Amino acid sequence: MSETTRKCWLTFEGGHQNEPCLWKMSRRYPDVVFDIRQASVQKDIGIMAVLFSGKEEEIEAALKYLIELGVKVDPVEGGSLVAG
Amino acid sequence: MSYVSCLRCKECGAEYPIEPRTVCDHDFGPVEVAYDYEAMRGKVTRQSIEAGPRSIWRYRDLLPVASEPRVGLNSGYTPLIKADNLAAELGVRELYIKDDSTNYPTFSYKDRVVAVALMKAIEFGFDTVGCASTGNLAHSVAAHAAKAGLTAFVMIPHDLEEGKIIGSQVFSPRMVKIRGNYDDVNRLCSQIADKYGWAIVNVNLRPYYTEGAKTHGFEIAEQLGWKLPQHTVVPVAGGTILPKIWKAYQEFITLGIVEDNKPKMYAAQAAGCNPVVTAIEENSDLFRPQKPQTIAKSIAIGNPADGYYVIKVVRESGGYGASATDSEIIDAIKLLARTEGIFTEPAGGTTLAAAIKLIQQGRIPRDESICVCITGNGLKTIEVMHGQFAAAPVINAKLSEFDVIVDEIKEKAAAATATAGV
Repeated sequence: MSETTRKCWLTFEGGHQNEPCLWKMSRRYPDVVFDIRQASVQKDIGIMAVLFSGKEEEIEAALKYLIELGVKVDPVEGGSLVAG
Repeated sequence: MSYVSCLRCKECGAEYPIEPRTVCDHDFGPVEVAYDYEAMRGKVTRQSIEAGPRSIWRYRDLLPVASEPRVGLNSGYTPLIKADNLAAELGVRELYIKDDSTNYPTFSYKDRVVAVALMKAIEFGFDTVGCASTGNLAHSVAAHAAKAGLTAFVMIPHDLEEGKIIGSQVFSPRMVKIRGNYDDVNRLCSQIADKYGWAIVNVNLRPYYTEGAKTHGFEIAEQLGWKLPQHTVVPVAGGTILPKIWKAYQEFITLGIVEDNKPKMYAAQAAGCNPVVTAIEENSDLFRPQKPQTIAKSIAIGNPADGYYVIKVVRESGGYGASATDSEIIDAIKLLARTEGIFTEPAGGTTLAAAIKLIQQGRIPRDESICVCITGNGLKTIEVMHGQFAAAPVINAKLSEFDVIVDEIKEKAAAATATAGV
């Protein structure tokens, strides 16, 4: 399995902003490294920019688990890109 | 000469070279084109702008294009109309309509942003361009790409109005309809940009694309006699145009081209898709994404990419926001057509309906200058107006039959006058 990184926006709503979803994810997928780059949490909503690193399949499974927990997961639009 | 200095993260200020990049590597915040305003001082002036072509390219010094423009040579410089009839109807002193329903070549403000994005695509060496679109952007990308000789892929939600689909297909792009709403289409386009290395104008060329929207603001200021309107009402979809009109105003102020009269910015959204206006009303910095449900499909973006910055600008400027129901949108379309002879699409109806509410609420004073930004043409979305009008009478080609109709009109007018007198 290849190592990779994935940039995501996580949106926490409907009470999920008060739950330790990332902690739960890391307990279940301990080899997926998460690096919080930016976050803003308010009463009804929380948004977080997170860089995930690890094996591709494990990141995929971890993100699916976050979605099951009620977190909205959006990919961050690409960084730099070479013309082609 | 280009005055562009770099791409700069709007959140942390990290700087990057001019390249196809959307976000900052550090905090994933959006990057924006930064300019050397000191170098512009005394060189970018009212006179230098007035000497330019009657298109968006008269503001070229304030756009991120290094080479001689080949795209959008007739885009922009749309009319700023002093809307006296509408002003009288609404009871306000000074009202303007910035009318991008006449923009060239595809009758929406998107011709501004696409012209800049495609010039950048050419400069970067891309041969294929594309977009995620609610219709107007697809038209513009397809038309500009046809003229520039680029391959175009346009991705649209599957349920767009017929007029919007044909309006793209005529330019022979490769069109793909996606099951889902705009946000689903946009998400797919991010993946397409990454995988195929194409220039998706509102994804990986977004920092350049959005700069084109400034020209709407530059034109308002120039056409108003180098002044800023005190109140500008702008539709919000992805959130591109409102912060960029604000940026245009601030750039002109910075360069001493206009006086700072503390302009205020107002966001307009359809009630069926109003995440930004809701956040403004709730005094929140963040918006909650929504599933769109409105006739104003061209602004039906439930998770606007730059929504956060719309909220920020509206708040910073001292403005506010308002949303309009579908029936209010239709009424506003009719009102604008009846009073000013302008047929706008539901996005324009939304903006006018929101402006009316803001005026009625007293948030926009009746005795100060107001500009309502109309960004699209009603002829593209005639479906929404079906059933809105009484059927026209059908007669034989006889003057006597026409006389009957005129008599009926006179009778109705007399009855209306009598009722008003009571």
